[in-house]
Amino acid sequence: MQRSSWLGLAFLSPALIVVLLFFMVPVVLTGFFAFTNMSTATGVKGGEYVLNASGLRALADAGLPAKTLDQIEGAGYRVDARGLEALAADFGQPIADEFGKLHTGEVFAKRRDVERALKGLRSNPIRKTRDRKAAAELFKRSMMNERFPTLPAFEAALEEAKIPEADRPLITKVAYTGWVWTAENFGFLFSLESTWQYAKNTGIYVVFTLSFNVLFGLFLAIATFYLPAGQASTFRAIWFLPRILPPVLYIVMWRWFTWDTGFISTVLSGFGVAPKNWMLDTEFHAWTTIVLINGFVGASMGMIVFSSAIRAIPSSMLYASEVDGANRLQQIWHIILPQLRWPILFITSYQTMSLLTSFEYIYLATDGGPGGATEVWALAAFHTALNNYGGNLQYGLGATYALLLVVIGLLASLAYLRLFNFRNLLIKPRIEG
Amino acid sequence: MRQNFRNWPVLLVLFVFSAPLLIMLTFLLVDAFTTKVPGTMVPSGVTLHHFRFLWTDLDNGSWGIWGVTLNTFNFALFTSLAVTAISVTAGYALSRLAFPARGFFLGGLIVLHAFPTVTLIIAIFLILQLLGLYNTLIGVIVVKAALELPFGIWVMKGFYDTVPWEIEMAGVQDGASRFTVWWKLILPQVQPGLMAILIFSFLSGWSEFILPMVLAPGNDAQVLSTYLATMLLDGGTQADFNLFKAVGLFYALPVIIIYLVFQNKLMNIYGGGTKG
Repeated sequence: MQRSSWLGLAFLSPALIVVLLFFMVPVVLTGFFAFTNMSTATGVKGGEYVLNASGLRALADAGLPAKTLDQIEGAGYRVDARGLEALAADFGQPIADEFGKLHTGEVFAKRRDVERALKGLRSNPIRKTRDRKAAAELFKRSMMNERFPTLPAFEAALEEAKIPEADRPLITKVAYTGWVWTAENFGFLFSLESTWQYAKNTGIYVVFTLSFNVLFGLFLAIATFYLPAGQASTFRAIWFLPRILPPVLYIVMWRWFTWDTGFISTVLSGFGVAPKNWMLDTEFHAWTTIVLINGFVGASMGMIVFSSAIRAIPSSMLYASEVDGANRLQQIWHIILPQLRWPILFITSYQTMSLLTSFEYIYLATDGGPGGATEVWALAAFHTALNNYGGNLQYGLGATYALLLVVIGLLASLAYLRLFNFRNLLIKPRIEG
Repeated sequence: MRQNFRNWPVLLVLFVFSAPLLIMLTFLLVDAFTTKVPGTMVPSGVTLHHFRFLWTDLDNGSWGIWGVTLNTFNFALFTSLAVTAISVTAGYALSRLAFPARGFFLGGLIVLHAFPTVTLIIAIFLILQLLGLYNTLIGVIVVKAALELPFGIWVMKGFYDTVPWEIEMAGVQDGASRFTVWWKLILPQVQPGLMAILIFSFLSGWSEFILPMVLAPGNDAQVLSTYLATMLLDGGTQADFNLFKAVGLFYALPVIIIYLVFQNKLMNIYGGGTKG
């Protein structure tokens, strides 16, 4: 390779590493995570093996024989170091020492047997029956609620409890607290009625916001083109502000505008209308607000792109049309709009993409309310995986929602390669090393 | 040009649609500094009470506005430094240097530039957990810088593309290495590009909300956007909008100043658009 090749790769490598780690890996991992049941309960890093009351119920429901269940619950009484330590702590070292000398390693089937063994001690036996019972309990060894960090440890415990080989796989599966691979997310997702509601909401959101963005962006661009320079730049600056203000502050203003103590309520109360929350009181109002919130930001992008495209039209064309007697509407229809074909296509495709996937403004404004009416797909993915009131975040299911968006995003981005004039970018470097 | 339809209907429509924005912006300023009787819109007195968060603790579990502001500044600054540093070399490589698979990398850049990164947030959340960077400012900085990078490289490549080849050829002719040529001759030419990326990523980091909220929800890594959002969303019906607006003004002040100073440069870049 030539020296400029090495330099080129060296110059590119920091970017490549970052891009690999935070674009490629997340894209691939979203796919993987969609096939897991990862959640807050399972953790991210893998899990332990533990059987608790609910696990036991699940096993009973799965048809595990009652005998096996008993074995899990009470695996007998074993005189081991742990039990002896507990005994020493509660009843004194001498008892523990003597009991350990006589019985270490023995397994008793019933508590009564342990009690008898305790009674048989020579020095200072535990006198009260109740105390003896408590002491015997210290040696009870059950698989219940005990944590096994690894699979071999759990299997050894199953072996020790003499649980039949045939039942072990099921028990292991129930006891595992970590995440496992599964393909059930997809079926589950499409069986949910709310999923279709999210899809419908996303459709409403994208169609109306996009129409507002493009149409109003066009209006702003054309109007400011014809207006005197001073007025035009004032309106451009006003419409540019939502774009540069931090989103959170922008939503603060909208919330104030529509809140029950805010602008609309206060002004209308002068006309005898009772104050209410104009953003969240009805679905229609919620949607109107959402479309306007996003539209006011989106329109400015259309305005900028369309404005620069209109300025690129040779003014001689406009002058010529005026000489021929065209009025402004004819100018707009026959000269300006045809020139804006590509910018309109660009804005439409770009904003479809970003509207499909964005949830920031909706989250801050309505958070999907009222009653899930404005819960769009991207917001549902976010809520499922990262932010819900239940507290059990279902990363796997959320990733399944997100996967669809990632796939759409990838396909659309690949389509951009076609839209852009890729040949232009590929001009050969003129110095070869 | 001939005046062949009247301006006033257009102005009227523009004005009606701009009215909500104008009202919001006006009362953003007015409400932050005044008191008023509930149920009216007219201010009854001037006060700095709404800015009390600057000198007292609001008792909302946060560790004080100045710590949060410092976090925000660090987040925005280090993000923009990282983006600029990486884009400045990568942009040059893609614009000027011949190396294997250059076309593939260029195509990849366009795809990344258009790709909606917010869809990756769940996977990134889990990656940061695995890396142990969850709930740290460093983690958010790294992620934000990575997501801004395609934009930075794209802009930087554009600036390199406009530098005349003759400068480089002259340098190479005189016996300088490609690296020296880049360092001594080309970099000074693209300084406006460096500034543009620096400013733009700083603003973008300053305004960022989703990433800090998801990836660093703890108090230690809180930034102004999450500080204000927490206030806003936890407020319930007792929302103190005067306070919100005061905090918001404080938060947006650097953005507005930077915008006013660099207005013309930024207008062009925003035209490229990273927001919906």
